[in-house]
Amino acid sequence: MKNALYVLVQLFVILLLAPLVNGIIKKIKAFSQKRRGAPVLQMYFDLWKLFRKQAVVSETSSWIFKAAPYIVFSTAIIAALLVPVSTLLTPNAFFGDVILLVSLFALGRFFMTLAALDTGGTFGGMGSSREVMISSLIEPSLLVSVFTIGLISKSTTILAMMNTTKNITFPLAQPAFIMVFLALFTIIIAETSRIPVDDPETHLELTMVHEAMILEYSGRHLALIELGAVVKQLVFITLLVNIFIPHDQLIALAGVSGLLLSLLIYVVKVILIAVLMAIAEISTVKLRLFSVPNLAALSFILAFLGFLQYFVLWR
Amino acid sequence: MDNFLDALSVLILFSSFVLVANKRAKSYIKTFRMQSALIALATGIMGIESFFADGHIDILIVCVLIIALKVIYIPNLLNKTLANVEYKVEKDFFYNIPLLIFICCSITAFCYTCILTIHGINTDVLNMQVVNSIALILIGLFFMISRKKIIGQMVGFLVIENGLFVAAIFSTHGMPFIVDLGIFIDLITAIMIMGIMAFKINEKFDSIDINKLKNLRG
Repeated sequence: MKNALYVLVQLFVILLLAPLVNGIIKKIKAFSQKRRGAPVLQMYFDLWKLFRKQAVVSETSSWIFKAAPYIVFSTAIIAALLVPVSTLLTPNAFFGDVILLVSLFALGRFFMTLAALDTGGTFGGMGSSREVMISSLIEPSLLVSVFTIGLISKSTTILAMMNTTKNITFPLAQPAFIMVFLALFTIIIAETSRIPVDDPETHLELTMVHEAMILEYSGRHLALIELGAVVKQLVFITLLVNIFIPHDQLIALAGVSGLLLSLLIYVVKVILIAVLMAIAEISTVKLRLFSVPNLAALSFILAFLGFLQYFVLWR
Repeated sequence: MDNFLDALSVLILFSSFVLVANKRAKSYIKTFRMQSALIALATGIMGIESFFADGHIDILIVCVLIIALKVIYIPNLLNKTLANVEYKVEKDFFYNIPLLIFICCSITAFCYTCILTIHGINTDVLNMQVVNSIALILIGLFFMISRKKIIGQMVGFLVIENGLFVAAIFSTHGMPFIVDLGIFIDLITAIMIMGIMAFKINEKFDSIDINKLKNLRG
């Protein structure tokens, strides 16, 4: 019973909130350019339209092309089940850990790049080679930062991490946490193909990375991939807010009202991070592809400094 | 409050990594300004603490001096020097940036493993803030030798000075005021002379690349 409720709440919150986060970021970007921009709910309309359309599949492509959208979407959904939106509601069974989370995303990305190569288009090959380069640069810092939190909480399960930081008063004032927070923030920007690394809105050959890979997709396949991408983004944001800005220790209410209050605060925190991401996006320019290693090195250093701080403070 | 100072000292250390990752001379100056602002913030916090503890305002005056000198005056002076001498953009470093950053990373790890185990006069004082500051000094030194042009080396010198200042203020929570004042006057003189030298070198050799100083010019 409890497990079923957990799964329902988790899917409901994440699937419903994920396109909204994208809408908020796009709206703030539009305001910064003195445009009115599309409505905040535009992505829901787009997805609704795409889901009702037929998918066009190239004759030369194999089964991978058709399977990839489902794999990408289902890995994102399984990852969404691993990161609890509220620590007040937790499942009874094994919960999955952070290494599984990273490997799920890697699996989705693997099939995405394969599918882009499958159709034999030039853009697909270019996009997947760039995507693999960026992800291999970012992955070390992602692993170092999650292991740092894992060492502090003495467990690799995400729930244990969240419960550990609940007991620390104001974690973001701790040097180790502030470094890992900044590292994860950079990682989110790179993983969700936002501006310093990749521009989500352009279809210019020279610069696109993620867009180049999904260029051949249409209809419900495209909808699944887009939804998978925003769910992935929200999963990362959830990891960030629930580990570094814990709020559940403040809630005294029990039962359903406590859970609803907790979810409300969670949504506020997610919107806050979305605003921060939009500000980061409008205040930087897109890097040259060969400058991305510099950004990745900086994010690795942030994670590594956090790791060193752990050895100093928690010895 | 100590936690906050810890976090600030780590952020100051991180700003030196950002400095090493920068490519253009203009962004060195910007990052130096940011680092100095962080140092001014740390000094200001200590100043307010000591003002409420025993009524001294020395550290607050030092904080104001830092804002006036390192956040406003010296970066402007450097910008002016840069506008006078730099007119072409070229590669300014010997190795690629990720490699430089990993060298700095190992410098920091070295500091953490070596210096943290030393027991000083007062073991409470030799804490991680001091260790971070010493790593900052070494990274400034490394930054100086990793850049080819004079502006980068001037900024490296300033970062070393920042590191020394931070190490002093974190370990003592306020040095004698006259010492700080002396250091600041030294610093202004040094930077002014360096600016003039940069201008002269540029005039004589048509470039501020240090490697070209070896060339004969007839």
